[in-house]
Amino acid sequence: MSGTGWPEGAFETAALTVFWSAATIGLYWAAKRLNQRLRRWWSSPLLLAPILLIALVLGLHVSYRDYMAGTHWLLALMGPATVAFAVPIFEQRAMIRRFWAVLAMGVVAGSGTSMLTAYGLASLLGLGGDLRLSLLPRSVSTPFAMVVSGDIGGVPDLTAVFVVCTGVFGAAFGEALLLWLPLRSSLARGALFGMGAHGAGVAKAHQLGAEEGTIAGLVMVMVGLVNVLAAPMLAMVLR
Amino acid sequence: MSLHATTILFRRRLHMSRLGQILLMIGLWLAGEALVRATHLPLPGGVLGLGLLLVLLFTRRLSVHSARRGAQFFLGELLLFFVPAVLAVLDHPELFGWLGLKVAAVILLGTMMVMAVTALVVEFCCRLSMREGNAGHVRHRMA
Repeated sequence: MSGTGWPEGAFETAALTVFWSAATIGLYWAAKRLNQRLRRWWSSPLLLAPILLIALVLGLHVSYRDYMAGTHWLLALMGPATVAFAVPIFEQRAMIRRFWAVLAMGVVAGSGTSMLTAYGLASLLGLGGDLRLSLLPRSVSTPFAMVVSGDIGGVPDLTAVFVVCTGVFGAAFGEALLLWLPLRSSLARGALFGMGAHGAGVAKAHQLGAEEGTIAGLVMVMVGLVNVLAAPMLAMVLR
Repeated sequence: MSLHATTILFRRRLHMSRLGQILLMIGLWLAGEALVRATHLPLPGGVLGLGLLLVLLFTRRLSVHSARRGAQFFLGELLLFFVPAVLAVLDHPELFGWLGLKVAAVILLGTMMVMAVTALVVEFCCRLSMREGNAGHVRHRMA
């Protein structure tokens, strides 16, 4: 490699980035197309793509660090994705002005339930320490959840995994829940998915209707903001 | 005068170009990150970027048409950005086994309760305010 002008290892890093980024985007895209046809809970790109990628990483005997180094930029795009939520919020400002109080009630009740059930159920099953703390912010969408997790003494990257599991479960079983609950307003149906299953839930809610989808997206952002602002107080209680 | 003309040209370009709008979102996010670093606010940079974009939209400095297509790109591919995060489980081999099942049970049961409580609270508040008659136009249909 000497004399080519490349710094030591730069070529390998570039190759790694291109390969793992292409694998991630390719499998995500394939899973998305499949899901558009099948529309089953297990064909969600959030479940299928990671499982295939884990198989690939394990099959090629690559370390998680190498994978992460190659795809970190994709995770970083959650930042601008958060910015993008300003557009639906702005477009739905009339609805927000009318219903913010009702939705805020749902967000506060949901966040409280989320923290209490995570703490209670984890204690019941004998899970403690930083694992239990990492479970607390699982109903908050990822960029927010990782901040909250760090604040209260959890492990942010574990929390990210739990957040995704929450999204997959929530989107999968939320529809069954809709059949059981006596819900008549699109507000309640949207809030259910936005609070319970964040990103994946918003995608699901958009399938039910534009109003449900908008409410879900809005609730998701509200949950994030409320929790990030409440985290320092929560940290004082937990420590 | 020429400055004005360039602004108009820039806006028209932004109006048309999805790539330009995507870059705008990334720029606002980076501005948010820089602000967080400068002020030590306990918020993700993306949230401040979201705030900045809202300010631009509400003050009419930016038309919503100049941001919509970029936003649609990011929101439409939202799940892609989560995929690498899931692979963090590989760093925690202790989760493959009993412990992982317990964690999954906590998440599943907890999430069902969260969704039920949230939906019922919102539904209850909706019916209350309906009775007061100021939410009459909410679309009601059977689930």
